[in-house]
Amino acid sequence: MALRSLNLPGIGTKYEFETDKGDTVAIFFTKTGTIQMYTLQKGCKTPSAAEMTPVEARRLGNILTGAIIDADQESVEIAFSALADLRVTIHTFYIPKTVAGKTIEDLQIRAKTGATVIAVCRQDKNIINPAPSFVFEDGDAALVIGESDQIKKFEREIMVE
Amino acid sequence: MEGLIIALFVCMVLALISKYLSIPAIPFYILAGIVLGKAGLGIVHSDEISQFFSEIGLLFLLFFMGLELKLDRMIADPSKLLTAGLIGLIVDMGIGFTAAYLLGFPLKEAFIIGTAFYITSTAIVITSLIENRKLMMKEAELIIWMEVFEDLVLIIIIALLSSGDKDLLFFFLKIVLALGVMYAIAHYGKEFLISILDRDDETPILFTFAAVLTTAALAIVLGIPDTMMVIALGAALATTDPDAFEQHARPFKDVFLVMFFVFFGVTIDFASGVDLYTIAILCILAVLSKLISGMLIGLTIFGSALSGLEIWSNTISRGEFSIALAVLYGSPVVGTVIAALVIVTTLVGAFMSKYSTWLRRGIVSHSRRKALMHRPHTGR
Repeated sequence: MALRSLNLPGIGTKYEFETDKGDTVAIFFTKTGTIQMYTLQKGCKTPSAAEMTPVEARRLGNILTGAIIDADQESVEIAFSALADLRVTIHTFYIPKTVAGKTIEDLQIRAKTGATVIAVCRQDKNIINPAPSFVFEDGDAALVIGESDQIKKFEREIMVE
Repeated sequence: MEGLIIALFVCMVLALISKYLSIPAIPFYILAGIVLGKAGLGIVHSDEISQFFSEIGLLFLLFFMGLELKLDRMIADPSKLLTAGLIGLIVDMGIGFTAAYLLGFPLKEAFIIGTAFYITSTAIVITSLIENRKLMMKEAELIIWMEVFEDLVLIIIIALLSSGDKDLLFFFLKIVLALGVMYAIAHYGKEFLISILDRDDETPILFTFAAVLTTAALAIVLGIPDTMMVIALGAALATTDPDAFEQHARPFKDVFLVMFFVFFGVTIDFASGVDLYTIAILCILAVLSKLISGMLIGLTIFGSALSGLEIWSNTISRGEFSIALAVLYGSPVVGTVIAALVIVTTLVGAFMSKYSTWLRRGIVSHSRRKALMHRPHTGR
């Protein structure tokens, strides 16, 4: 797989790579702010294209990294191959009614699951690194970080409580 | 003043319509100008204010062109680009110049028409490549670099046309000196310029506007073409933070360039003594010359006539730079010819770039069918 990138005057940046099987994928970050992705099957003449907004492109990127995506919950797994293949998963959870009104301390999240809540999104406002006394509200979206086992534990033990 | 506001309002409506239909807006602005102006209803007249606005539009168009000229970013295969660029230059300019000369235009006017034949509209070509999702085609990259090549040729032509009958050596010495000063300011004042651009108050946008207009004014005082100096200013400032300059100059370009197109249309006068016959011939030739040059480029670079067809259908549109030449150096007759040229080629170009894939597919399947029918019956 050879990736090449180049700047095209007036257009933006182009990334292109050929897969081992001979298919080609090209991505263009255009100056208009949209992202176009072209795929060209080996032996085929005309590529097919899709145009995406930056948000849609990021979503596609998450899917391609192999993370599980539910309808509105996203997760990303990052692998640091230089650090003995350290894998960290970040997952978003929508806080259910059963959890609303409780603090992080009450729920004993760290002790029970090993995962950590690193951010909470409340009505378009982000709270980074919430304190143990932080009280969840209905409709909050929590960003949880941990190993994939810890995330699964979080989903089983905290979210259904 | 009322005329200006009427023109602005009409343009706003036209911009919405053209975006909705996703076809280039430039021909509509010119047509609106023709309808509202001298040749049509006569509601809008060109006055001092509108002339000033048009001039600002032109200056910002050229400033933008300069910003895009990042010569340090070179193409992977310059010889290919040079071949394609020269074919385009010789074929298109040759056809345009010869036809105009044979139709009775004086030498200089024929030269301007020839240049207008050659220079395509970067804005329309780039937008149509993006909107019609053709960026991945192998021809697209070449087309994009050919636009840069055309810009470079245009700079040389502007220098030639504006040197006129002045003392050439002194003239070019002044230009080189001004260029040196501008690059020195961009080089030694880089930190300062970037610190201005980083502010979030009115200073960056005020600075950008003032820099362009001051450069133009200084150029006129020094007796060198302001158009060239503004392109050079863009190129010099591109070594600092081109994206920030583009962002701050864009509103001025967007508004004043529309004014420029409309008032170009307003000043068109069909009574200037050019017959429809001449205009029609030149318009048809303008479409055909790009077909010939496109085919030649396709055959020499990609070895395929289909590639040539693709290059043709994406480079038919002439636009802002052809009009700029008409406004700067053309007589009213040349202006009328170029207005028609731009309107016809942009509309044909918009259609062709949208449907070229179909055309290509149609030709391929047709020739395949033909090949199947003509296949000799072998292996019995």
